Amino acid sequence: MTKFEQFQLSNGLKVIVHEDATTTMAVVNVLYKVGSRDETPEQTGFAHLFEHFMFEGSVNVPEFDTPLQNAAGENNAFTSNDITNYYDILPANNLETAFWLESDRMLSLAFEEESLATQKNVVMEEFKEHYINQPYGDVWHKMCALAYKVHPYQWPVIGKELSHIEQVKLASARNFFFKYYRPNNAVLVVAGNVKANEVKALAEKWFGEIPAGEKINRQIPKEPEQTEARVQDVKADVPVNAIYKAYRMCARTDADYHATDLLRDILSTGDSSRLYQHLVKEKKLFSSIGAYITETIDEGLFMVEGKLSEGVSMDVADAAIEEALETIKSELISEEEMIKVKNKIEAYMVFGETNILNRAMNLAYFEMLGNPDDVNHEIEKYTALTREKLQQIAAKVFRKENSNTIRYFSNN
Amino acid sequence: MNRTEAPKIKLIEQVTLPEFKLLHLDNGVPLYIINAGEQDVVKLELMFKAGKWFEKKNLVADYTNRMLREGTTKHSAKAIADKFDFYGANINTGVGYETGGAVLYSLTKQIDHLLELLVEIFTESTFPDKEFETIISNKKQKFAVDLKKNEFLANRNFVNALYGQSHPYGRVTELENFDQMTTADFKAFFKQYYHADNLTIILSGRFDEQLIKKINDSFGIKNWSGKKADENITHTIEPAKELILHTEKADSVQSAIVLGNLSINKKHPDFLKLSVLNTVFGGYFGSRLMSNIREEKGYTYGIYSSFVSYPHGGFIEIASEVGKEVREATLNEIKHEISQLRTELIDEEELQIVKNYMSGRILRSIDGPMKFSETLKGLILYNQDVSYIHQLLKTVREVSSNELLELANKYLDYEKMYKITVG
Repeated sequence: MTKFEQFQLSNGLKVIVHEDATTTMAVVNVLYKVGSRDETPEQTGFAHLFEHFMFEGSVNVPEFDTPLQNAAGENNAFTSNDITNYYDILPANNLETAFWLESDRMLSLAFEEESLATQKNVVMEEFKEHYINQPYGDVWHKMCALAYKVHPYQWPVIGKELSHIEQVKLASARNFFFKYYRPNNAVLVVAGNVKANEVKALAEKWFGEIPAGEKINRQIPKEPEQTEARVQDVKADVPVNAIYKAYRMCARTDADYHATDLLRDILSTGDSSRLYQHLVKEKKLFSSIGAYITETIDEGLFMVEGKLSEGVSMDVADAAIEEALETIKSELISEEEMIKVKNKIEAYMVFGETNILNRAMNLAYFEMLGNPDDVNHEIEKYTALTREKLQQIAAKVFRKENSNTIRYFSNN
Repeated sequence: MNRTEAPKIKLIEQVTLPEFKLLHLDNGVPLYIINAGEQDVVKLELMFKAGKWFEKKNLVADYTNRMLREGTTKHSAKAIADKFDFYGANINTGVGYETGGAVLYSLTKQIDHLLELLVEIFTESTFPDKEFETIISNKKQKFAVDLKKNEFLANRNFVNALYGQSHPYGRVTELENFDQMTTADFKAFFKQYYHADNLTIILSGRFDEQLIKKINDSFGIKNWSGKKADENITHTIEPAKELILHTEKADSVQSAIVLGNLSINKKHPDFLKLSVLNTVFGGYFGSRLMSNIREEKGYTYGIYSSFVSYPHGGFIEIASEVGKEVREATLNEIKHEISQLRTELIDEEELQIVKNYMSGRILRSIDGPMKFSETLKGLILYNQDVSYIHQLLKTVREVSSNELLELANKYLDYEKMYKITVG
């Protein structure tokens, strides 16, 4: 149970405080509701590049990291399809340092040409390290483009191609900032050894004067329903054949989300899960296999991916995955298996709560989705699910005409 | 309000360690207990002196450990997986150079169901050939993929250059090694090393005292003793003659680089002060290497240095992945940063930031029962007690830039470093 208080400043900034006297630390988490889905097809990777730029000094503070480190803190950030999330962890008695730094970079950035140029280089190296210079590194680019035809999820967060990052201009960074990095488009969570009234006063003091931005009117195209199976073959210098299957699934806030997530657990969480037991251990068709979901604000993907055992044909491997998914549709999950996945998810969520940063990020995320108190009702939403519901969702998701398959062949 | 002025900060002068207890089970096994936190969870860590230091054949320590989940006299691999999963638990088995064992993560309300099975995998494992065949053929595929990664290749060339093939810290695996072990090797290794006299347990989380009694009933058993692992085993270091080794990869867009040489470990009196020098050099985001090579030049997504410590040795390592066209330029910048540290005093402002940052890191390393259990594990490996944490903080607070200059001259020498590049 994560207790919290919440209030809103007159500029629209939503603030949530979570007190925990058992730690000596404080976490300041700022979530901006902007991600790669807000980019245009000509300027992909921009939201993530901008996250780097946010560390390059603000209007009154030349450097972000140094003063925070001086206050015995550390910080980081990540960008996803939907959000950009920044956090600082520091001793609670230095809390105000984080307020000072986070509020100044929400007020305005330094916007220097030189630092933009450097961060473009850094991000291009990140792109190369993770997506070019890695076996199978390009598969996510290909899968996004295969599964989405009109929605901006058709490119990955890092960006569609290196040249998009190379071409970014300072003026577009400025426009982006004043459109999305406004208090009315952000959530501030302060957690740890703090007091709500002290946080209230600090929030007013540091964030209160930051002007609100215009209301954001998103016009993100809805991805039309998929009507036929899509398959793409790839050949590359990799040692092992692999297969990737993406099934279109519901949005994070959809009523079907939790059931879809439990299907993922049935298939792939733990050594007892179906894909590992049947396809790796018993039939020895794969050397590794797993499933995951993309958990996005707009409709997402249910992914299954595996590396084929030596001598196994792509058709056999593909058919085996489809059969495993068919079985969930045709045979009701046993009661025991249902209890298992519910126990698994409960343990996963309680362990997640042991970490103060995790609690802070979850509060921010659920506030962004609509209601921070939902963090305390997630477990119930899983335990209320029935086996019939899972079967029904499986039938909805695991359809051939709803699938996108990449067959990744070794050219060795 | 003046936004250009930083709010006042408080320095960390001392830390209060979480409470913990050391008990001994009926058979003498040390049991560390950290009972704290807000969530009803348990982390139970079992550490046996069964690491790679003790294996006579490459990979035997790794796969003895990996096979623990693959069958006992009473449960098949599938039954073991089913049971841990059914109660929502996670069991992670793993091996280091010194120890091998398992960590069980469980909700406190479920752990009673799991203790018996947990003991069983350490006392009744059967190492079935059938399961081993699957695991090894899958591992060979993963290995083939790893060999395509420049970073993996650079790391293995690096440790091999430092220690050579006869030493566990330097020994690299070749594909044929996977076929050179049998389940008989595991049975022998298991018998010799996985027993009560090689075991230490750390229990952390929130639970009632009854659990301690149950752990004693499970792991405090008689007839589970054996010969203590021989701490005096030594291995021969055979360093490579050539300091420079480059592997060209025509299709790479980046090069992985690893530089370094043998150095001291945590047991050496200079090590604490050296950790401050390392933080300045490449041990945090604001380090000299990051500021210069990432934040000014944009050559890389990340670069770090570290004084790697193992119980029987240590080395310094500087690692990064950089644009192929700036590989030589990066090496020159590393050389330049080392030379700066050897010739110029670190200025007081920079040193103060590092000291404050490191104090915060110490505070974070003891925050919460599970985090503290990790820190405690690190101390146990070196037979150190928790006073080490206070000593670390004191050193961080007191070390001077004169001392660091001296240490830089003693422990950082670009000319003596191996320079391994791939890509």
